[in-house]
Amino acid sequence: MSRRIPVEPDHIISVRGITKNYPGGIQAIREITMDVHRREVVCVIGPSGSGKSTFLRCLNGLEQIDAGTIIVDGIPLDGNRRHRDEIRREVGMVFQSFNLFPHMTVRRNICLAQKRVRGKSDEEAFAVTHALLRRVGIEEKTDAFPSQLSGGQQQRVAIARALAMNPKVMLFDEATSALDPEMIGEVLAVMRDLALEGMTMVVVTHEMGFAREVADRIVFMDEGVIVEEGEADEFFDAPREERTKAFLSKIL
Amino acid sequence: MIPGSHKRRFTLLDAVLIAAMIAAVILLARRIRDDLVYQWQWSVIPQYLVRRQASTGRLVAGVLVQGLLMTLRLAFWSAVGALLIGVGVGILRITKSRSARAIGRVYVELMRNTPPLVLVFIFFFFIGNQVTTALGIDSWVRNAPEGTRQTITLLFSPPARFAEFLSATMTLAVYEGAYMAEIIRAGIQSVEKGQTEAAYAVGLTRSDQYRFVILPQAVRTISPALAGQFISTIKDSAIVAVISVQELTFRGLELMSATFRTFEIWITVTVLYFILTGGLSAAARIVERRMRVRGH
Repeated sequence: MSRRIPVEPDHIISVRGITKNYPGGIQAIREITMDVHRREVVCVIGPSGSGKSTFLRCLNGLEQIDAGTIIVDGIPLDGNRRHRDEIRREVGMVFQSFNLFPHMTVRRNICLAQKRVRGKSDEEAFAVTHALLRRVGIEEKTDAFPSQLSGGQQQRVAIARALAMNPKVMLFDEATSALDPEMIGEVLAVMRDLALEGMTMVVVTHEMGFAREVADRIVFMDEGVIVEEGEADEFFDAPREERTKAFLSKIL
Repeated sequence: MIPGSHKRRFTLLDAVLIAAMIAAVILLARRIRDDLVYQWQWSVIPQYLVRRQASTGRLVAGVLVQGLLMTLRLAFWSAVGALLIGVGVGILRITKSRSARAIGRVYVELMRNTPPLVLVFIFFFFIGNQVTTALGIDSWVRNAPEGTRQTITLLFSPPARFAEFLSATMTLAVYEGAYMAEIIRAGIQSVEKGQTEAAYAVGLTRSDQYRFVILPQAVRTISPALAGQFISTIKDSAIVAVISVQELTFRGLELMSATFRTFEIWITVTVLYFILTGGLSAAARIVERRMRVRGH
């Protein structure tokens, strides 16, 4: 077990002044500071290229930060590999392009990490897998390969795969952006249920309806910084910053 | 050309080409007979393929078929070694560590820019003669119980020639390993970045990411290239004839000096190589097509 850093016990993620540069000196994100509370749903919105996906990918160490600190569940996400390993086991992630393992059945996709990382037996892993597939509504596809599923089904499997690790936080990186319009609803429904069950979620999304309905808090990013954040209704009804108003007027 | 626009029709041009080729072969054979005063004698060849054992009356492999089997064993173990080296070096070539990448790079460049014949000598004199003796492998194999010796003969080579076999296998493995490494590197790089990211995000260790997610997908992409490399290994294995490994080419050389049936023997050797490699290519194509049909 790693040394845990005392933070506000209610904070599952604590981000302090993080900066990430891309090669060539472009700053993807600058000096971002924010906290995520347990059982909170935070939606991160903003124009494309605003750094919101990069920010999300920093939270489980997929991107390495150049400055600042990230603490997840009391563990610092630093150069220490053990810390990073521990954090990525506890943080689930869902990607825009699903990224299911194409050479494995749905069942194996969901079982793999349970067995290899959590050391579960086949029976235990199967039981969890079937329960999760029932929950996301595709138990009949257990033995299918990803290529035999629709985009919406694939993304629901990807959500089940992340949930199988019993994560403390779920990160969603534009989970519905690659989907055909008729499939967006089924994935958002799963995400909504998850939020209602009290899962802590950080959601990068373009779905403003979803954000307003489900999010406890909206974070608006532009040009690598957090421009404005606030409680959902307040944010959409009475934005304070000019850039927020301009963004909302374009998309609503 | 538009696919399918090419009709398989026998044209006048085809007829002329085939006639010209037949004429050239006949002309060549006649000139060999008349100018070199060469007596074709194909009847000597079959006994070198299959012969009847005088004592038992059973059919056994002739010298050339024995050579072919040795070539196959040699190529198989070399390919296994090359694959292991290839996976290791292929991964080295794409790691974050600069020095690991440099090591991989040096190895690949060294092998690709050195004549394999020189490598054969290096391995034979340094490893074959010195290391196997020093490690006692040689005497261990010689003094092994009869059952073990038979297994070694079946899988590798006769115990008396084990040192040569080991040097030859290592030479070929190290040489082909460099090409394997490049194939495997390309295969790994062909796997989408999202796959590694997903494997990372669910918590798999680095080695599990490779073992369960990256390599299985890479293998699917590169299996045609791997099959091709195996066929190359068979062809390249001919050079170890220089260190007296009794593979097909060595057997051909031996027979030629004993019988002087130069043309018959080398034509037969060529045909035997071709049957082996051509057969494997065809098999590889069928497997590849099957895999593509299955689709995942």
